[in-house]
Amino acid sequence: MAKITFNHAGGDVDVLEVEPGTSLMRAAVTNGVAGIVGECGGQAMCATCHVYVREEYLDALPEISDDEDEMLDCTVEERTDRSRLGCQVTVGEGLDAVEVDLPESQV
Amino acid sequence: MSVQAEARPVPTADWVTIEDLHRDPFPIYRRMREEAPVHWVPAVNRYMVTSYEACHIIENDQEIYSANETNSLMKRAMGHSMLRKDDPEHDVDRKSYGSVLRPKAIKETWNAIFQANSDKYLARLKAAGPGADLIWEYAAPYAAENLRLIMGFHNATQEDLQRWSQTMINGTGNYADDPEVWAASEKSYNEVDDAIDEILPYLLKNPDNSLLSGLAGMPIPMEAIRANMKMTIGGGLNEPRDVLGVAVWALLSNPEQLAQVLADPSLFPAVFEESVRWVAPIGMYPREVTRDTVLEGMALPRGARLGVVVGAANRDPKVFEDPEVFDINRPKKPHLAFGGGNHYCAGAWVAKASVAGIALPQLFAELPSLRLDPGHPAVDAGWVFRGMTELPVLWDRK
Ligand code: HEM
Ligand code: FES
Repeated sequence: MAKITFNHAGGDVDVLEVEPGTSLMRAAVTNGVAGIVGECGGQAMCATCHVYVREEYLDALPEISDDEDEMLDCTVEERTDRSRLGCQVTVGEGLDAVEVDLPESQV
Repeated sequence: MSVQAEARPVPTADWVTIEDLHRDPFPIYRRMREEAPVHWVPAVNRYMVTSYEACHIIENDQEIYSANETNSLMKRAMGHSMLRKDDPEHDVDRKSYGSVLRPKAIKETWNAIFQANSDKYLARLKAAGPGADLIWEYAAPYAAENLRLIMGFHNATQEDLQRWSQTMINGTGNYADDPEVWAASEKSYNEVDDAIDEILPYLLKNPDNSLLSGLAGMPIPMEAIRANMKMTIGGGLNEPRDVLGVAVWALLSNPEQLAQVLADPSLFPAVFEESVRWVAPIGMYPREVTRDTVLEGMALPRGARLGVVVGAANRDPKVFEDPEVFDINRPKKPHLAFGGGNHYCAGAWVAKASVAGIALPQLFAELPSLRLDPGHPAVDAGWVFRGMTELPVLWDRK
């Protein structure tokens, strides 16, 4: 199992243990973690699964694809160096734990 | 699911008629939602799902709720497009659209084209003069010309696109099996196929940024290209036209919100989102249940044909406060007007850019004191597709 820590904008924290191969978006949506919407079901098309990944995990993440890159320019909350789409980051091999901050809004 | 034991039987809504739905579906949706999230509706010959929660569950579970409907009228009218496939087959078709409808292409290519089209049809509206119909002089040709160029139909006119779209949509809704409706729909079907056959070789030699240009030379069956093009003609024209009409009508009917937007044009995206929430241009789309299941406490048998009524879900008071009211200042919540999950609208960014980015700001900037015509009331109609069928407007000539 892999561990995902979601830090909500208001200070609450959700910690999930999920199967390797699960995306942050899918983990949040199936476990009722508020703060991630995931309208497009993970096609990098809606920008409603925006997360800010904590510094210490950034190097372990896959490269940002062109599709993800243009969509990160469409997020409601400001894009930063820590911004990723939750549907494009999958836990498992090379990333057995990750911690993210959630933006205040996705829409 | 653990709630299986408590599953309630689905109530029948025999009081619902197509005529009432067409005129104004919202009081019907409200009554249904208050009673149960799902009803069997004899007049529609489907289960209608009206709660936000249940619609949302369906969108995210293609294994239980398949888009690949048996005896689908859409398949007959348009062929078997991505919209009626599940993954992995759906995903192959969807990926064949590449980046054409994505934000980068919109910024680099389409926005300039949308702007030129808006200039052109706004001039046509102005020439028609105060009292003209904003839908038929502006919104419809604008949406049709945008779509024509995005798709790459250099051998057709925007009028062709409008005719193809409407006649094939009528085919997808031809439950009465009216032979005249089928004849018009089939004529368009054949015209679209001919236009595709003619334009693909041209686009191979003269590539551009359009959908058909991207598809030319792609190893994807011709049958899939044809069906996907027809579905996109049907799904990419009336909807931006209708959200544009509803947004203008809503603002002109709410002077305080209009004043707020005129003072702060950065609110047009909020106007767009609230307009598609308030009146979803696609009010209902179908799914089929693949095994006996329980949906928000309601028992559904395998093979049940569902209507996912996002037009009702978008007014669910459990999610939206005072949901029947048009209010651009309401707390932002995700609505379901673009669908969700793997079939999430491929044209959502195109619709936002062309309507909220270009058309709405330009209309209100260039038509001083734009207002409804008290002598000729606007008409909104429809439920599977809903929008303004008449929107006569007045303005002060500069
Ligand atoms: C406000 C305008 C629009 C609305 C409200 C809208 C709504 C929708 C909805 C609800 C669906 C999903 C239906 C289902 O799951 O059965 C959909 C799918 C689709 N839409 Fe739109 N649409 C709009 C504009 C457009 C435009 C402008 C285009 C093309 C340029 C377009 C192309 C498509 C395509 C290709 C699909 C199929 C996606 C798939 O099956 O994966 N739409 N749209
Ligand atoms: S779920 Fe839509 S972009 Fe990630």
